[in-house]
Amino acid sequence: MIELAGLTKRYGRITAVDDLTLTVRPGHVTGFLGPNGAGKTTTMRLILGLDEPTSGTALVGGRRYREIVRPLRCVGSLLDSTAVHGGRTAYDHLLSLAVSNGIGRVRVTQVLELTGLSAVARHRVGGFSLGMKQRLGIAAALLGEPPVLMFDEPVNGLDTDGVRWIRLLLRQLAADGHTVLVSSHLMSEMALTADHLIIIGRGRLLADTPTETFITASTRADVLVRSPRAGELAALLTAGGATVCDEDDGGLAVTGLDAPAIADLAAQHGIPVHALVPRQPSLEQAYLDLSAASADYRAAAQPSESGASR
Amino acid sequence: MTEVELRPAPTRPPSLAARARDVLAFEWTKLRSLRSNSITLAAAAIVTIGASVVVGRALSAAHKPLPGGIPGLNGTFLAYAEYTVIPISVLAVLQFTSEYGTGLIRTTFAAVPQRWAVLAGKAAVVGAAALVIGEVLAFACFSIVQAMLSGGHGGLSLAQPGVTGAVLAGGFVLCACALTAVGMGAIIRSTPGAIVATLVAIYLLASLCLVLPSPWKDDIGRFTMAFAAYQLTAQHPQAGLLTPWAAMLVLIAWPAAALLAAGFTLSRRDA
Repeated sequence: MIELAGLTKRYGRITAVDDLTLTVRPGHVTGFLGPNGAGKTTTMRLILGLDEPTSGTALVGGRRYREIVRPLRCVGSLLDSTAVHGGRTAYDHLLSLAVSNGIGRVRVTQVLELTGLSAVARHRVGGFSLGMKQRLGIAAALLGEPPVLMFDEPVNGLDTDGVRWIRLLLRQLAADGHTVLVSSHLMSEMALTADHLIIIGRGRLLADTPTETFITASTRADVLVRSPRAGELAALLTAGGATVCDEDDGGLAVTGLDAPAIADLAAQHGIPVHALVPRQPSLEQAYLDLSAASADYRAAAQPSESGASR
Repeated sequence: MTEVELRPAPTRPPSLAARARDVLAFEWTKLRSLRSNSITLAAAAIVTIGASVVVGRALSAAHKPLPGGIPGLNGTFLAYAEYTVIPISVLAVLQFTSEYGTGLIRTTFAAVPQRWAVLAGKAAVVGAAALVIGEVLAFACFSIVQAMLSGGHGGLSLAQPGVTGAVLAGGFVLCACALTAVGMGAIIRSTPGAIVATLVAIYLLASLCLVLPSPWKDDIGRFTMAFAAYQLTAQHPQAGLLTPWAAMLVLIAWPAAALLAAGFTLSRRDA
């Protein structure tokens, strides 16, 4: 379990993480979403005690990370998979981490097997592809069999098989009762992997909700209507209480009335309808709506990015 | 809440000794697993020994003591003072700077969040390695140079008063330089910057003091690492400088100050 209370981090005038209060629970894959520079990585660094919060606390299993002895047995993390010394072999990299936390050599071999790196265990990491380094980082996170796992953008650089492998691994870990926090800016990936979402923008908490609820609740579903007499129909629909937006290709995006009601209304007035498509909002759309709602996010986000993503 | 949190098997918290062993094993594994470290060490040893042969020939060929009046025992360390001290100090600098450069430092601090412990681990491992390397090469240089001198001017032997102590001190000098370098690396974080700062501390401060007007030259100069090392490894220490024991304290104070400053910066600064 990861508990943040009023967690805040400022770098000079820039607030990278702004009063975050939330709990990441075991048994779920919790997706940590936000655009680049939203403060995801900074939050994870604060949890790991790498950065000192300006105010507030981050607790893992009820303790501050810096107070944990042999922390790799409590929290496994992958922040930056390229942060390895290229001159060391995969085995030696993992071995050094293992001995630092009193973990046996057998476990090093196990995680190498688990991540499919056994064949290259004695190769130097400098020659690894990004995907292989990503696997190595995951191997390091799993080394201490920790109950809490934290991955920053773990699918970056992975091929399709790798992405599927990560997805299954994360789900399996959650099913086994682990606390799994995964950051990503890829909504589609999170929609498939995470069953709970934490969304932040400019360091502030925007949503903390089950994925299902978020998609259905935060965006209005709409109906795409196509008609040769679109203008006429739009006026009727508006009069009938609907909100109508013109799509670029001449279609109408209708909210406020469902598909049968639109069809009936068109039929009453003898207006032909060529298409009538109820549309489910995607996580992507829900997210965009949310960040648009959170006050001029995009325009204001630009200057903070360099500082916040340190 | 119906969710069950996995907790690590209830084991007794590891003892302080076990935690110290963890950190030492961590740093030692990292040190020995880089091929570049062994290559640098081997190259430093070969060049030091080769250069000592050259020094021995030059000294034995000279009809009078070398210009600058370098006496016999100090001549022993001419090659060592540069070809061993510089590469080993650079390796020591890299202990922190290479981790900062690659980002590995964050993995290190995630594994051992107690930053003083990481510093202590690195210092212990590097200091011990430097001490062993230093003693071996100091005695090697002594044997080579004095064996070559024994033909002409009558070389020194370890049995003579003060000689063994001076050669032992030669090994300690390397340890002091390496520990200072570890501290500099942690404070400055960038490899080039930390190497420059280390070389300034080890060599250049002493050279700078040489151009100071007379009373200051010695008053300040004797507290530099290079002069302290000179006094410590001389058979007949120069008057006006420090006694060997005081010189020893100077050579302890420099790395101690560097490591203390490093500890404070490490524990305060975001990684």
